[in-house]
Amino acid sequence: MRLTYVMSVAAVLLAAGRLGAQQPPAAPPPAAAPPPASAPAPAHPPTPDEATPKFDPESVARGRILLVAQCGFCHGSNARGGQQGPDLTRSDLVQSDEGGKQLGAFLKVGRPELKMPKFDLPEKDVVDLATFLHSEIASVADRGKYKILNIVVGDPKAGEAFFNGAGKCASCHSPEGDLRGIGAKIEDAVTLQQRFLMPRGGRPRRRGPRPPGSDVPPYLQSTAVKATVTLPSGETVTGPIIRLTDFDVTIYDPATQQTRSWLRTNGVPAVTLTDPLQAHVDLLRKWTDTDIHNMTAFLATLK
Amino acid sequence: MKTPILSAFLVLGLASGALAADPPSGLDPALLTKPPTDSWPTYHGDYSGRRYSTLSQINTDNVKGLSLAWIYRANTSPQGAQTGGEGPDTPPPGSGGFGLDIKSTPLLVNGVLYLTAPDNVWAVDPRTGREIWHFYWKTRGGIHIGNRGVGMYGNWLYFLTPDNYFVCLDAATGKERWHKEIANVKREYFSTAAPIVIRNHIIIGVGGDSLDVPGYLESRDPDTGELQWRWYTTPRPGEPGSETWPDKYSMEHGGGMPWLPGSYDPELNLYYFGTGNANPVLSGHSRPGDNLWTASIVAVNVDTGKMAWYYQATPHDTHDWDSAQTPVMIDGVIDGKPRKLLAQANRNGHFFLLDRTNGKHILTAPFIDSINWTKEINKKGQPVGNPEKEASIPGALVSPTTDGATNWPPPSFNPDTGLFYVGTTRGVSMFYLTDTDPRPQGWAAAERHVGNFGTELKAIDYKTGKIVWSRPLAMSVWGPGGGSMGLLSTAGKLLFGNDGGGNFVAYDAATGKPLWHAGLGNNTTNGPQTFLLDGRQYVVVGAGDQLFAFTLQQ
Repeated sequence: MRLTYVMSVAAVLLAAGRLGAQQPPAAPPPAAAPPPASAPAPAHPPTPDEATPKFDPESVARGRILLVAQCGFCHGSNARGGQQGPDLTRSDLVQSDEGGKQLGAFLKVGRPELKMPKFDLPEKDVVDLATFLHSEIASVADRGKYKILNIVVGDPKAGEAFFNGAGKCASCHSPEGDLRGIGAKIEDAVTLQQRFLMPRGGRPRRRGPRPPGSDVPPYLQSTAVKATVTLPSGETVTGPIIRLTDFDVTIYDPATQQTRSWLRTNGVPAVTLTDPLQAHVDLLRKWTDTDIHNMTAFLATLK
Repeated sequence: MKTPILSAFLVLGLASGALAADPPSGLDPALLTKPPTDSWPTYHGDYSGRRYSTLSQINTDNVKGLSLAWIYRANTSPQGAQTGGEGPDTPPPGSGGFGLDIKSTPLLVNGVLYLTAPDNVWAVDPRTGREIWHFYWKTRGGIHIGNRGVGMYGNWLYFLTPDNYFVCLDAATGKERWHKEIANVKREYFSTAAPIVIRNHIIIGVGGDSLDVPGYLESRDPDTGELQWRWYTTPRPGEPGSETWPDKYSMEHGGGMPWLPGSYDPELNLYYFGTGNANPVLSGHSRPGDNLWTASIVAVNVDTGKMAWYYQATPHDTHDWDSAQTPVMIDGVIDGKPRKLLAQANRNGHFFLLDRTNGKHILTAPFIDSINWTKEINKKGQPVGNPEKEASIPGALVSPTTDGATNWPPPSFNPDTGLFYVGTTRGVSMFYLTDTDPRPQGWAAAERHVGNFGTELKAIDYKTGKIVWSRPLAMSVWGPGGGSMGLLSTAGKLLFGNDGGGNFVAYDAATGKPLWHAGLGNNTTNGPQTFLLDGRQYVVVGAGDQLFAFTLQQ
């Protein structure tokens, strides 16, 4: 745990350093955490609930079986409540429980007035039950890990018709040309769907796998927005946009293979933008969800 | 290094300690009801939520000469700090991960600035940017996404922590007086609001929508921290409003976190605030109905905690569009008659104008052009959601995204121009239902951003809802930058905000023309504020982990 903290401090310092590169040198350095050698010892060893919840998969599996066998009749086979018993994963008692301690004490007594009998379970079973319930709760809370279900449910024929018709996709793309085998190249249908909705990806995700091709700087990708900068002399420079504000503009100049920047005042130099993906941007206002589902199904068939 | 200053304040601290039992000195409560000039004594500067300053020393004619006075970089080291908290010396894993952004609006009272970040409070000398004291909270965990700042009563400061403690400090020394737990961090509650002090009421709300827990607003006693009243954001069975939920179970797990500070009308003794989105967040399957009082603008009596009226901005929300954005008080004129109004630019993309005496609807106007989730605007002026735009397994394309057309950063209203200013974004996302259980939980669906039509700073005519001017923000290789931003307008005919590209900008409040800028290396992350000190007007703003102060060179 200590190691994790030191690493996270290092990451913060790294991030601060990155910002710091643009700061005036007079600014004091960010305060560093004390080095581990001189850091005071923690007041107590970390309790299980303070550590990142990582659940022993075998204990979770045993807990799941126990839940179905012992509690499922009233509380549902997934603990989310049944005809007679409330949802256990939303229970204050369960959510506040520490490794089975409070749950075990409760089970010894039950809640007879609500027809909740007492359960005499061995302590290790209580721990397994609690581990299962806490892992269920953690999986609800961690929305970054939600698994998207099967989204390939549309009609590929209708998708093809939209491709060649209303969507006007065929004016730039062809299933035999640039999209040949796209359904095999991009196996994950969610990625495929996002790519056709907007082929220019957003800012790369901080965590998790990077999509293919994301190691190329975005301004070198063919999908980058192009800017034409018209200088007061009348000279124009065109290249992928890196940055545009009211006060400055930066582009990648393909002629010199370097970035170039200019200050701007009252709109001078003038900058006009051309988006090679304008048709995709326009389509974002027109798609019906059915069209999207059909297009996903169509492109997924292009193996 | 800080010893001489620190010891001077320790002496002051002893003096103020002796006064603790008496009616507090320190902040003069009368300041809270006037437009701020030589102080900024509450989150919005005053109770109105306008973030408008009557100061005009810095104005459209001389703003070009605005220059840096100092920078304070947030010092988060526990060493040398006053400390408190129930957590271990080493923060538990999972309580970081957001980096440190100053999202608090610093208070300025009696010549001292007070600002916060999660687990940290600082007193800073506004003349020099030097730290006077630092308070460090040892956390038990909780989501460390941000903290909006402190509230002040007499010589005492109040703030909330990510692990849901309501903490009182001595403003002179930063020493803790007491702390009270207001919610359970194990249930994924976390607290970010700046306490609002109204007479002897400290108004606070809780946050956290990961586990379908109930939301509530509280008033607590400034001396003891004890609960005065608690108002739940969803009804209990049998109460009015319960008919908008299918059962007890759904309303008791319906969310509605009031996670941002509100505004207050002393004449009506009503506190106005927005409630959070309903839970489960992105699935409405288990909660058919309007789901009162989630995603609503609510007025409560400050002394009793009883609701006076509500207006639900998003009935049956399924896109995380809380209505927590600042409800801004406008004393305006509608159809030739003076009116007490309340305006909000809502995360769902609509500008709302209400009568704040009774909550009666006056105006609804969309302020972005990409909204695709509504079926109609009903007779009450509420946008009614199209059920087809709720998350589905194969996905629904929706604009705005869960980030909203705007978000928590405070807007501004300028009575001189009659314009309501707000930072906006026109994002588009796919919403995929992931939890098909009849009783879905938590967020219940996943979102993927697929595009953005643009980000703009907009000025809205409060009487008509029409966009008077719209200024596109920065473009980067990733697409449009910025969007939602903290704003401040002044009698100097200026509007302070950012440009989405790391510049802090003074715009002409009437036209939106940029008149001055400073590259801070980061977009501003809080609401800018201003004050007069020693005859000089300062403008103070946070960007990332640094606080910047600007003034005219003399």
